[in-house]
Amino acid sequence: MTISNATVPRARRFSLRSRETPLDLTTRIAVVLVVLILGVLIVLPLVNILSSAVSEQGLAVFNSMFSSVNLQVLQNTVVLGVLVGAIGTVIGFLLAYVQVRLEFRGKKLLHLLALLPIVSPPFAVATAVITLFGRSGIITRDLLGITPTLYGLPGLTIVLSLSFFPAAYMNMLGLMRSLDPSLDEAAASIGANKWRTFVTVTLPMLVPGFASSFLLLFVEAIADLANPLVIGGDFTVLSSRAYIAITGEYNVGAGAAYSLVLLLPGLLVFLIQRYWATRKSVVSVTGKPAGRPAVITSIPARIVLLTLSGLLALLIVTIYATVIVGGFVKILGINNEFDLSHYRYVLSGIGSDAMITTTVLALIATPIAGVLGLVIAWLITRKLRRGRGLIDFLGMLGLAVPGTVLGIGYALTFNKPLGFGNVAILPALAGGGAVLGGAIAIVMVYVIRSSPSGQRSGVAALQQIDVAIDEASASLGASGVTTFRKVTLPLIRPALLSGLIYAFARSMTTLSPIIFITTPQTKIMTSQILSEVDAGRFGNAFAYCTILIVIVMSVIGLLNLFVRDSSVPKAAGLSSATIN
Amino acid sequence: MKRIHAAAGATAMSLALLMSGCAVTSTDSGDNGSTGSDELGGSITIACGAMEDWCQAMTTAFTAETGVQANFVRLSSGETVARLDAARDNPEFDVWHGGPVDGFGAARDAGLLEAYDSPNAAAIPDKYKDADHYWTGVYVGALGFCSNTKVLDELGVDVPDSWEDLLDPKLKGQISTAHPSTSGTAFTTLWTQVTRLGGEEEGLEYMKKMHNNVLQYSKSGTAPGQIAGRGEVAVGLVFSHDCVKYQEEGLTDLTVSFPKEGTGYEIGGVALVKGSKNKTAAQAYIDWTLTAEAQNIGPTVGSYQVLTNPDAAVDDRMVKLEDVEFVDYDFVAAAAAKPGLTARFDAEIAAQPKE
Repeated sequence: MTISNATVPRARRFSLRSRETPLDLTTRIAVVLVVLILGVLIVLPLVNILSSAVSEQGLAVFNSMFSSVNLQVLQNTVVLGVLVGAIGTVIGFLLAYVQVRLEFRGKKLLHLLALLPIVSPPFAVATAVITLFGRSGIITRDLLGITPTLYGLPGLTIVLSLSFFPAAYMNMLGLMRSLDPSLDEAAASIGANKWRTFVTVTLPMLVPGFASSFLLLFVEAIADLANPLVIGGDFTVLSSRAYIAITGEYNVGAGAAYSLVLLLPGLLVFLIQRYWATRKSVVSVTGKPAGRPAVITSIPARIVLLTLSGLLALLIVTIYATVIVGGFVKILGINNEFDLSHYRYVLSGIGSDAMITTTVLALIATPIAGVLGLVIAWLITRKLRRGRGLIDFLGMLGLAVPGTVLGIGYALTFNKPLGFGNVAILPALAGGGAVLGGAIAIVMVYVIRSSPSGQRSGVAALQQIDVAIDEASASLGASGVTTFRKVTLPLIRPALLSGLIYAFARSMTTLSPIIFITTPQTKIMTSQILSEVDAGRFGNAFAYCTILIVIVMSVIGLLNLFVRDSSVPKAAGLSSATIN
Repeated sequence: MKRIHAAAGATAMSLALLMSGCAVTSTDSGDNGSTGSDELGGSITIACGAMEDWCQAMTTAFTAETGVQANFVRLSSGETVARLDAARDNPEFDVWHGGPVDGFGAARDAGLLEAYDSPNAAAIPDKYKDADHYWTGVYVGALGFCSNTKVLDELGVDVPDSWEDLLDPKLKGQISTAHPSTSGTAFTTLWTQVTRLGGEEEGLEYMKKMHNNVLQYSKSGTAPGQIAGRGEVAVGLVFSHDCVKYQEEGLTDLTVSFPKEGTGYEIGGVALVKGSKNKTAAQAYIDWTLTAEAQNIGPTVGSYQVLTNPDAAVDDRMVKLEDVEFVDYDFVAAAAAKPGLTARFDAEIAAQPKE
């Protein structure tokens, strides 16, 4: 058993340098395909919409970007992104640490609860938080007698951290389960205490995980639109500012310009993360743990960790219980009479159409997004040196661009046949006149919106596995594809699974780009939820959300069965790498 | 290796640029749209700016009556303008039905609508029609106060019936209104002050005073009614029919009142989309929406706007226009002043701290 230590980064750089051989054919094909797919799915719509940012109105926005009002908006955006990125990552880490290093009853349950917020339909969490903790909230006012004002930064931070932390949780969980416990044992054997081991051995190993979680959460937080609209109050961020420009001021140029500015903080964090994570790379050579992680038995540590995670679990349960109960009463918090009419409404007519259409489209998009994200991750961590930053960034764009802008970009690009001159390459894909009633464009949006999470978890997992393993395979004569299939894929199966889960959940809950490309033939659940909220029928909205949660959870259960680690023999410690 | 990736990147970029510039120009237009027959048929798609069930009821009734398949997508007016603009060369919609006419004005100015003087428009009063026939009004909504009586009782404040009542220090943080940039409702509120007080300065001055009592400027125009309904604030500024709708949906503490100094109103419109592929059917739909029979569908699905056809039935839950004082609302002047006024509101009021 070889154990990596501080010299490994150098060794790795050396091995990279030695790999000056030309890329094999499959890798080249993969690069071209990925570039083509990203070109159509994200670059093309963005170029189309950003060219309108260079219009007169757009330039006016750039010129006024440094006015005090706009600077405030920019500052708000960054503050929110950093808060949510940090808090969400800490929550995700805490729960993952407890999951891996602690033995207690209800561990499985805690795992499921930590995954629950993956499914946060727009409005559900925000509305539930207002109902529970608002000025006339059930808990704040009726139980505690206080009337806090949630609207603005506090409410947004709470809601977004709670909605997005599962990405960090899954990321960290996969990483920690594949950490080699013998490192900790080695540290202990040369006299380090538990805390010192944690700080000097465990934490550095997790740096790529922290970095990629923070980045993902930061980007998700600043690109989110639904929550700033519901609970943002006067706290305007760039995504809601862009939305205002487009829908309130009828000014697409200005909206595109704000979105372009929105890409800047995302780009910055992205660059910092790349720099930091690649410099401080600590790699475990085997990629697979050699034993079970040591269980923490210290009583004070257990009490602190379990209390914190218990409180978090309680909060999640309360919020989701609110959503579920909300579907069964007239109007939760106002008229708590039992009422089944919401489900009758939702399960008949438009409601069930929307349910089926949305689920089918999301199911089509999920494997595509999962595989795309993983292939990108594989290319940028394993195969490419030049241009990998570009591809990494292009892959993340789908998440970083506000949905409103993406949606309009799609409407602009795919409403008419695409091609060179009069030779059509693609028929019209979006809008009512398109093939399949515009469903293809919706699947495309789902794919580009949800592949980044697969990409990030793939990158984090691959960075942890030393290239030497691939090289060993290659030196035995395996091709790139064989190595990927036989060696890499089994090692990153947890990452693939979390990528797929996230892709499905995200597709099912995507709202803002969909508004611009739904057609009469494709009714989408999230936009139905929006119109129920608009009409004040919160019961119907909660019922929709509950059904959405049930659908996503069932599909996650099925995915867990399908993507189970079956090719690798189940030895002690090996199977624990699978999220179960 | 260097070359491959540079080339790959360049290919993606140039491909994107090429394709964005080279949408295929349709050479086979006029296959079904311009057959010019008088026979109604085919299908039309409506961009619907009202509540979902309203859209549903309208399109179903039209299909039942004419046999023309009418589909709809529900969109806010800003979204409609953005979508019409994006699909300008290949319109996916035939008719825009419902939603405030300031959006219709924006679409007209952007060249997205086609003038259509429906024969049935003769019955509609002139003040509810565009002078150039780009849009025709189908309903009217009056701006009102949507108050939560329970919260008002706790605060010891009477139901407001004057704009001055909203400045009561007891209502600090107890008023919810939308942001005039995002919401037609809130812009109506702002322009009502400008008209009522005789100028932009005076109007903004009033909004500045009210600012201290505003909890938040929401993004959606209807949200203040819900926020008041939940008891988060005492008073929401919304169109009265939205408040009535929320009452009916179960937010029973709500009550509607109007300012005695005069209030503003909105007109909901219907318009023909430029380049409609099934113009005959689209025009038939517009003709139909202006009939009393079509307008009477609104109240059956909980939408209690005042109807523009004088022969349409009157429901008890509608505002009696003759009982409410209105300001002399000039839609053309309002639309012209909107960009400047909302920008000033943004900088001088919304961003300012509250006292």
